[in-house]
Amino acid sequence: MTDPITEARQRAEGLKAAIRSFYDGVMPVDLKRKSRLHQVLDKDDYVRWMRLLNDQGWAVGHWPKEYGGQAWSLLERFSFEDQLARLGCPWVIPFGVKYVGPVIYAFGSPEQKARFLPRIATTDDFWAQGYSEPGAGSDLAGLRTEAIRVESSEGDHYVVNGQKVWTTYAQWADWLFCLVKTARGEQAQKSISFLLIDMRSPGVTVKPIPTMDGYHHVNEVWLENVRVPAENLVGAEGEGWTYAKYLLKNERTAGAIVGMAWHALERLKGLAAEAAPASRDRLETRIGELELRFMALEVASYQAVESMMRGTEHGAEASLIKLRGTELYQHIAEAAVDTLGLAGVAWDAAALHAAAPPPLGPEDAGGIVKDHFYNRAATIFGGASEIQRNIVAKGVLGL
Amino acid sequence: MNMDLETAAMLRDSAARYAADNYGFLQRHAVLGEATGYSARAWRDYAELGWLALRLPETHGGLDADPLAVGALMEVVGSRLLMEPVLASAIVGTGLVVKLGSEAQQAALFPGLADGSLRLAFADAEPADSPCRVRGGRLSGRKISVLHGDVADRLIVSALDDAHGGRRLYLVDPAAGETEITRYRLVDGRGAANLHFAGAPAEPLGADAAAVEAALAEVLDEAAVAACAEALGAVRVLVATTCDYLKIRKQFGRAVGTNQALQHRAVDMFLLQEEVAALTLAAQQALGRPAAERARVVSGAKAYICNAARHVANEAVQMHGGLGVTEELDVSHYFRRLMVNAALFGSRDEHFARYLAAGRNGAAGGMHA
Repeated sequence: MTDPITEARQRAEGLKAAIRSFYDGVMPVDLKRKSRLHQVLDKDDYVRWMRLLNDQGWAVGHWPKEYGGQAWSLLERFSFEDQLARLGCPWVIPFGVKYVGPVIYAFGSPEQKARFLPRIATTDDFWAQGYSEPGAGSDLAGLRTEAIRVESSEGDHYVVNGQKVWTTYAQWADWLFCLVKTARGEQAQKSISFLLIDMRSPGVTVKPIPTMDGYHHVNEVWLENVRVPAENLVGAEGEGWTYAKYLLKNERTAGAIVGMAWHALERLKGLAAEAAPASRDRLETRIGELELRFMALEVASYQAVESMMRGTEHGAEASLIKLRGTELYQHIAEAAVDTLGLAGVAWDAAALHAAAPPPLGPEDAGGIVKDHFYNRAATIFGGASEIQRNIVAKGVLGL
Repeated sequence: MNMDLETAAMLRDSAARYAADNYGFLQRHAVLGEATGYSARAWRDYAELGWLALRLPETHGGLDADPLAVGALMEVVGSRLLMEPVLASAIVGTGLVVKLGSEAQQAALFPGLADGSLRLAFADAEPADSPCRVRGGRLSGRKISVLHGDVADRLIVSALDDAHGGRRLYLVDPAAGETEITRYRLVDGRGAANLHFAGAPAEPLGADAAAVEAALAEVLDEAAVAACAEALGAVRVLVATTCDYLKIRKQFGRAVGTNQALQHRAVDMFLLQEEVAALTLAAQQALGRPAAERARVVSGAKAYICNAARHVANEAVQMHGGLGVTEELDVSHYFRRLMVNAALFGSRDEHFARYLAAGRNGAAGGMHA
């Protein structure tokens, strides 16, 4: 019998090769171009992208076979994200396929599975995540959004009131999976429930939060007397915290962090090759340092994934990947902006290329600058760096 | 030039008061929406307050201000993120006319500079493949990333002098024709332009190439030091804002600032602020010293401050959490201003290289060497 790790490695290599030929042969030119220039993708682009992945069997490759997945190993899943990001592909929107889908197949009712899972796989429903609140960022136990259960002859329902924040792509979402408080006064972890909310319900208001990269990613979502059928509760009342933790476990294996760093490093090398000779020596040293850090990230990440598969992990693996990966990415982005020089402080260098000369910097300069702005948040969202270090300090070092 | 502490302090106070009353975050937000990227009303106010005459000689009704006074104003510019062309026109452009202008040129330009009706921009950086040159009084070539080049009434352009050789400066009226202007915004919202000259009428500024080089080096050092003071103003605000937020923001049942790890990071931000202040002062004092020493201290300060300001800005964003990257909070605006500030008037790497070169040539490492 083949060792499962060896087999997973072979399958992961096969998957990576398949992704490369997909990129060369199937990936639409306009998506490649937009992505390469870090241009904003609209909802249609993302839906098209997610469906393309689904056509290859990849959008839900990590799901169990009974729900239409391929039962990928952790290594395949990590390699999938890594390889796509290395090629500079668009973001694989995780809210449906990676986050809520697994919660539904693990804890949902048969009706919920039948209703939601197929439409998640095909991105017929676009999902958003309702976790953070103004007073509850890193500390999710501080949630205040309330869901009160009302019994009624037309069927039981919840009335939800509260405010969510940093909700990515809520402006496009059909559904919101949401952490709400269903009991007062009790221990925070036992009062939270996991509710699926139709974004078209009366009382749901989405307000954009403009960010410094100029794109519209995140929103406030206001919930005012929103009526949610009781059948949209996942699992049991008061167990939302358990499901949220299960979801976070899925969020942890972020191969995209490694691939993005690799891609950005390659671009930086390209910029350096065109830089003025006077600055090249210093730049080469700087890039060499970044490459070395990347090598450490890459080997540590892949070994961490295999430890998780063997069950020999110490618990700091996911934090290591997130901390080292995001911080490295930010340093690469800074080096790229520095290398762009005066083009690195132009708000929209891309627009300057649309007009007659003189152009300012390469075609993707404006995108590189906006990507730099966007990624300042990479050490904040998905478990801030400070929280990651707390996790390791408390959970692993016992401090 | 006398270092006049009292004048600098008075200027700092009055400028800070004006900016507090007239340039709050929301007022500035309205300015960001202006087509020109700055407030014409504020610019007129600056003229009345005498800021635009800071660099003008007393014989022409100016204040002949020393670097401390200029720095006092620039610190306020940085602390409130003023958008008007104070640095580009009132300090760099005006400084070049003061040092190099003929009597006739000065008589023609000074009144407009003082009352704000004449805005200057200095166009220096150019793409390697189309350098600017002047032949028979006509300028050809390209310039890029000219701060406030989008609104300037006169451009001061560096170009090769075909007749006499060497680099000279020229006054160009962009409205006089043969100048194509591509206007755009920098990431901090200020206006800039790329310029294409195709035989634009150009009037020499300065008697000969040697005089131009010397004056240019002095004025660019003044600009770098003014940019240091601007960074200091922005850094002070970020450090104060971040410390306030650490006291207010509660997670896990307590203020986040009670975490020792964050306290230590806040301390490091504060220490950087103090170093930025000390280096800015040292660089202001060094502006009056011989060229080699001036280069060592000014470039050392600018290089250090580029890095320090970036660190402070990064930490300020990080410690504000998601709010730090939003438009609605001022932190991201300071972040972007400091980014532009670091790239203009010599990047970190350029100044670091000049600092090293000046050291190799035997210049002292600082004021106390």
